[in-house]
Amino acid sequence: MSDAQINISTNVLDENLGLISAAGYINNEGGQAVADAAEELVGKGCSSLLIDLEGTRIINSIGVSILLEIMEKLMDNDGVLAFCNLTPTIAKTFEIMGLDQYARVFPDREVAVNAFASDATS
Amino acid sequence: MEVVLHLTVVPNVELVAAKAVETLGDALGMDRNGVEAATVALVEACLNAMEHGGGQVVVRMAKEESEPPRLRIEVEDEGQGFDPEAQSNDASTRVHGCVSKRGWGLTLIRELMDDVQISSEPGKTLVRMWKGLGGSS
Repeated sequence: MSDAQINISTNVLDENLGLISAAGYINNEGGQAVADAAEELVGKGCSSLLIDLEGTRIINSIGVSILLEIMEKLMDNDGVLAFCNLTPTIAKTFEIMGLDQYARVFPDREVAVNAFASDATS
Repeated sequence: MEVVLHLTVVPNVELVAAKAVETLGDALGMDRNGVEAATVALVEACLNAMEHGGGQVVVRMAKEESEPPRLRIEVEDEGQGFDPEAQSNDASTRVHGCVSKRGWGLTLIRELMDDVQISSEPGKTLVRMWKGLGGSS
């Protein structure tokens, strides 16, 4: 849980939804790695992003601030930022910092993907 | 059992403290959520101390035989000090469209821990915080 390295992988789930899997410490460097991945996916045409934090146990406020900036950029283009697989402490940190007011939070990836698919067909 | 760390300010040194609280919390039988909350709070306290302090940061952590028993964590620096009451806790003023998103450290510490005491004066700032071993966050 105290590993300074962060492992990032990305995937385009459909033309609108990009997936970022992030495992490790989300500090300024980890947050920036997520932001770079987000920019890459937006460049590929993803208007909304799902960030899967399974494997992430520790964050800091600087890292969350970078996530807030990602969210604001998406919202400016009518996109949505979503998270899944949050630990209770990370979920509470997002709540304290107001991130959950604007981002969607799902218990796991399957529920999140199904929710986006349902939104697309409704 | 008390753990004392003298942290030199280098990148990611806060993770040394994080690992220590994780290890101690597990040894004391603290629940996982409590350990993770204490870890994030400690990381924030260390970052504040390194950003605003000067020189080494001293971290002490120990079980406190209160009823119920708690984990006590102290983070001390030798910086210029600050006013701990001068920070806004209003998330709505900080999120969307706000230029600066920094300055959340003390808010997170207060929210994630059960009890927090801060004393600050020029040359010494001490953040003391407690988390029940059973956890409540």
